[in-house]
Amino acid sequence: MDWLEQELAKALARKEPAAGFDGRVRARMHRRPRWLAIAATILVMMGAGEAWRQHRGQLAKEQVMTAMRIAGSKLNRVQLHLKGTEQ
Amino acid sequence: MVFSVAWHFLHDRDLAEETAQDVFLSLHTHLAGIETPAHAGFWLRKVAVQRSIDAARKRRRRPQVALEDVAELSVRPVSGDPMLGGMLRRLIATLPEMARMAMILRYQEDLDPAEIAETMGIPLGTVKSHIQRSLALLREKLERRGVGER
Amino acid sequence: MRPILTLALGAALAATLWAQQFKFNLDHLVSKASDSFDVSLNTSMLQFAGKFLDGKDPDEARVKKLIVGIQGIYIQSFEFKKDGAYAPADLEKVRNQLKAPDWSRIVGIKSGGESENIEVWVRNEKGKVTGVAILASEPRQLTVANLVGNVDLESLSDLGGHFGLPNLPKVPKKK
Repeated sequence: MDWLEQELAKALARKEPAAGFDGRVRARMHRRPRWLAIAATILVMMGAGEAWRQHRGQLAKEQVMTAMRIAGSKLNRVQLHLKGTEQ
Repeated sequence: MVFSVAWHFLHDRDLAEETAQDVFLSLHTHLAGIETPAHAGFWLRKVAVQRSIDAARKRRRRPQVALEDVAELSVRPVSGDPMLGGMLRRLIATLPEMARMAMILRYQEDLDPAEIAETMGIPLGTVKSHIQRSLALLREKLERRGVGER
Repeated sequence: MRPILTLALGAALAATLWAQQFKFNLDHLVSKASDSFDVSLNTSMLQFAGKFLDGKDPDEARVKKLIVGIQGIYIQSFEFKKDGAYAPADLEKVRNQLKAPDWSRIVGIKSGGESENIEVWVRNEKGKVTGVAILASEPRQLTVANLVGNVDLESLSDLGGHFGLPNLPKVPKKK
């Protein structure tokens, strides 16, 4: 690296967000029903083997169930409406 | 890392924090697909890049300071001077988006051009071109202002 | 080299076939939403999730059976605190993609004084359903879903009574 590149590395050193950033992210996370807490993120960082696989599996399962409920609820609304107009 | 990429790219602390929050919320949504901590790091960086570029495009304006408008300093910063850091950050902020991001990934994240290409989803040659041209432009602007190595 | 190339091309084609079938382009709404749900589950993730669905739970058992024919689930759903948080153009951009020849709208409803709008589209290839799209909008809610694969509408009908779904009207077969 020449002098400019060294200065660029210094100038572009990582900056931290304002205090309380983690709390603000958590607050947005907890607004959502069924979402798991920061323990999930900790598991990512720990990369804890089988426990992590189990956790990923539960998350994936939850996502599938929620997805099917959302899609199903919309189709349900369609069906109720069609039944109502047929009568 | 995520906030820092967004901040250096957007040069707007509030927008950078909002972007960083969105990235972490996205991670939470996609957690089931993350296989290792290294994968999480790669995923976070890639999404931070995408979201930062999206945020900049939505903002639809370039940072206020154009290269030509960078004020002459009464005391010209030299290598090692913290004022030079501020000038360099302002100059970086006026680069075109893709070049700007390539420079941030190169000098903040210390990624090599191949890693930058993979993160940004652009050809390796394009990354190298962005970095070379940006460095040349920065050198030219700094030299014009009498700023250089001591 | 040729067999390897064929295999690689086949894998790439398969990945393309089961990928999301139209773009949502709704990420800009995340920051405006009071709540949002965003999921992208490809074939491998669905297979992985399927291993954790409990066959003894009636709901999970039905879903487990349903996803056998599904190669991908892509959903973005938003809730907003105020009307007008999303633009009609946001949904129109999605709808325009469904005007391609292989997509057809099978049902669309408006209710609640036309404030609620739900459309269901299917993608047909050689007489088989290879995708379902659901577009649902209310003044403070927006949902776009793409279920990819040989989505068995008969199976979706079988979910009647679960998740509140009664039987769906049968899709008339084209002669």
